Amino acid sequence: MSKPSDLVQGTLDLLLLKILALESMNGWSVSQRLRQISGEVLQVSDGSLYPALHKLEQEGWITAEWRASENNRRAKFYALTRLGRKQLEKEAANWDRLSGAITQIIKLKEA
Amino acid sequence: MSWQRWIYIAPLRLRSLFRREQVERELDEELRYHLERKIEEFAAAGLSSEEARHAAMRAMDGIERHKEECRDMRKVNWLEDFWQDLKFAVRMLRRTPGFAAVVVLTLALGIGANSAIFSVIDGILLQPLPYGDSDRLVIVWENNLRRSNLYNVVSPPNFLDWQAQNQVFSGMSYISDLRGNLTGGGEPEQIVAEYVSANFFSVLGVNPLLGPGFTPENGEDGKDKVVALSYGLWKRRFGGDPGIVGKTIELNGKVLTIVGVMPQNFNFFIKQGTLSGEKPEVWSPWVLPPAYHHRKDIGRFMTVVARLQPGITKARAQTEMTAISARLAKEYPDFDGNWGATVIGLREQISGDLRPALMLLLGAVGFVLLIACANVSSLLLARAAGREREIGIRTAIGASRWRLARQLLTESLLLALIGGSAGIALAVWGTNLLLAASPSNLLDMQKVPLDWRILSFACGITMFAGLLFGFLPSYMSARGAIAETLKEGGRSASAGRHRRTIRSAFVVAQIGMALVLLAGSGLLLRSFNLLLRVDPGFDARNLLTFTVTLPSAKYGSDPAVLAFFRHLVERVSKIPGVRSATTESYPPMSGLGAATSVHILSQPAQAASELPTAAVRVVGPDYLRTMSIPLYTGREFNDRELAEMRHVALVNQSFVDKYFFGVNPLGQKLAVHMKSEEESEGKPSEIIGVVGDVRMIGLDTPAEPTVYWPHPELVYSRMTILARTSGDPMAIVSSARNELHQMDADEPMASIVTAEQLLSDSFSRSRFTTIVLGVFAGAALVLAAVGIYGVVAYTVAQRTSEIGIRVAMGAQRRDVLRLILAQGGRLIVSGVALGIAAGLLITRLMAGLLYGVSATDPLTFAGVALLLMAVALLACFVPARRAMRVDPLTALRYE
Repeated sequence: MSKPSDLVQGTLDLLLLKILALESMNGWSVSQRLRQISGEVLQVSDGSLYPALHKLEQEGWITAEWRASENNRRAKFYALTRLGRKQLEKEAANWDRLSGAITQIIKLKEA
Repeated sequence: MSWQRWIYIAPLRLRSLFRREQVERELDEELRYHLERKIEEFAAAGLSSEEARHAAMRAMDGIERHKEECRDMRKVNWLEDFWQDLKFAVRMLRRTPGFAAVVVLTLALGIGANSAIFSVIDGILLQPLPYGDSDRLVIVWENNLRRSNLYNVVSPPNFLDWQAQNQVFSGMSYISDLRGNLTGGGEPEQIVAEYVSANFFSVLGVNPLLGPGFTPENGEDGKDKVVALSYGLWKRRFGGDPGIVGKTIELNGKVLTIVGVMPQNFNFFIKQGTLSGEKPEVWSPWVLPPAYHHRKDIGRFMTVVARLQPGITKARAQTEMTAISARLAKEYPDFDGNWGATVIGLREQISGDLRPALMLLLGAVGFVLLIACANVSSLLLARAAGREREIGIRTAIGASRWRLARQLLTESLLLALIGGSAGIALAVWGTNLLLAASPSNLLDMQKVPLDWRILSFACGITMFAGLLFGFLPSYMSARGAIAETLKEGGRSASAGRHRRTIRSAFVVAQIGMALVLLAGSGLLLRSFNLLLRVDPGFDARNLLTFTVTLPSAKYGSDPAVLAFFRHLVERVSKIPGVRSATTESYPPMSGLGAATSVHILSQPAQAASELPTAAVRVVGPDYLRTMSIPLYTGREFNDRELAEMRHVALVNQSFVDKYFFGVNPLGQKLAVHMKSEEESEGKPSEIIGVVGDVRMIGLDTPAEPTVYWPHPELVYSRMTILARTSGDPMAIVSSARNELHQMDADEPMASIVTAEQLLSDSFSRSRFTTIVLGVFAGAALVLAAVGIYGVVAYTVAQRTSEIGIRVAMGAQRRDVLRLILAQGGRLIVSGVALGIAAGLLITRLMAGLLYGVSATDPLTFAGVALLLMAVALLACFVPARRAMRVDPLTALRYE
């Protein structure tokens, strides 16, 4: 599977879970939101978004249903499950730990 | 946690599997929705609809690829892929049925034959015997140093001294067997009883299934009237009566109390030491009578089993027994001079005769397995070469390596699976066949469980070989040089050459191994053929033998016994279809007989252990005519000599050659030491005739010096009746039984068998080995032929265009033929040379199984080399003919 090069492995999962935790949405909206909130810093190709979503679905973290979209067409909407919420907490905690540690290191004064 | 997960996951998985089309449609729709929104976005930004579409497609960078990635996420596609691969593999195999059949057969042969042989060997040589700590059990024999008989039965006084003096055994037990008539409660029947020391079962470490068994008290005089039954007898005669312990049976007129029933798997039987040559059905304690403590009064007749003390090795026990024997030889030079002792493990004793044969087959079947591996590898290698282009293309259009690997793996596994199943079937069938073909007189085993460890080993190794050589090369080449492969039109020259070298090496090795097997098989066949042509010295055709034992309780006196057998012979010889009849102390070719030292009175007297030895056989009237043994000089026994003791004897030619050195044997007097010393020396027997040699032990054993006595000289109460018939000997059995029962209705007729059967039993081991090795060698020949055919056919296919060019440039068909055959010929000659070199080394190991032919017999080697070369050349000729017919136009267009 091709991975967006500038995303740390596994962080795409975290982002998707977080976005879907805020509200349930379809793939297109997810891609728009991802671009929006990250200020276009995080580049996720439109194509590779879907394997990531399908993976989360198959893990049981998000669930999908077909319903009318904002432009009144049928689209697949994803929502977080209970398991997904737990997973999000876990991954967020992990991320905090990791980024905190990295920040600490980066802030070390050079001699 | 995990079960909660499955609440979400399970419906998805099931849906992916069983609603595949819907899932696919949804995937399609989801991505299309995205694409459309993307197009709208680009259109809104001012692109034309065509431009917007292209831009959107670019932004999605390869929808199909992402679809495949989404499918991968479903985690069931391995199953779908597997199913797909399987269908594809089946299709591939069906398109090349010849290839598939050969691989499957090769695998089946390799796996099946190996598992069968290993299972049988495991059953016979490796499985623990059903006795406590059976590795510590040994058989102790006397060792006749002059006749080089390592395994001679033991005399009671020697046993007693061994027992008293040794420090190496924790227990020693003696066994001697007798036929006995079991009467009371049903038909009288003759069974074999073993009379043993009271510690017999405890030395063996076996407890009875029912009852207490023997107690030490049973070894005291007067308390020994007890008996243990075999499981078989208990079931057969007593219907498995659970309350049998405490009841009685009557054996030879003696009442014995049943104290035990032995377990079903208790089958202790050392045929070599028995008088009856048959398995016992009851065991009874036997106290050695006081007379048996003196060496003058009793000969050697017992089998001795002993248990090594913990920490004592067989070698240590042998050293101790040799020392004790040397002491006894000094103390009793007359009886024990030139006698030693042999200690042999129980297992070696039991498997003795068959062991070298089985070891040979084990080696042979290993070769078959190697050849099979080489063949499978070679075939898969050729196939892989043919598929390089396909694999190259598939890699180029985006098949992942793992995906390709899985497909190739599936194909190999499918082949292995079919081959393995066929192999298992062959193994089951082969094990039963081997047991059925194995000599029942040497090996008493009806059933051997198929050994699953062995089966999986054989399956594993052939599959491994197949995978290694079939799958790896294609995989590697797919990784390495996709572009090259495609550029070269599917013929990667370097990889091809490398592969050809490996395959050629396989073929050379295969031919070499096949030659070794053929040579071994040829040697066995030649020696078997020579064995069949050996003249046993008597005419075995149309000769019936059966044995009658008279109980001493009923026929106590010698005259009664003599009269009974004389009358029986008279009656039998009058049966229509019987030409003549006689009696003899032991049936011919049964390996049974008595032997003793003989003092020729015209020669100086010596210690008994220094005197000549001879087999002693006691015979009835009309013996020479019935057996068709020639009388060289002198005369036969007359009626008087056959009715009462007249001190006469016949000797055979070997006796004369060995002991008389040109002196006329007629009229010479012999003291044959089968009786007490005074009687033997005081009333020696006069030689009245010399008769032809008879091979009494087996066809491969030369005739022993033999003394024939008329029955009155030594009154055996057990005699074998021999009847020469004009037709099928078995046809007169019921008449003979009728005659016997008219004389005594309680007398059973035992060991009814034709002399031809006895003869055939005597070379059953040779026949068994010859047949099985012959089958292996045949299989090896076929496999090697297939191997070389495969290599040459592959080369022809590879070189079709080259051959086309040659023909176009004027090469004759002959030249093409020569070109192809030369390639095959080089492989064949190298293989044969390798095989002869290896064979000359290896066949030496089987020298002990050969008769009358040397292990390096040049004629056999030349013969099998020619046979192998002819078959291999024929295998080359088939593809060579195809090459000859290559039409240059077609060949070039094909390119």
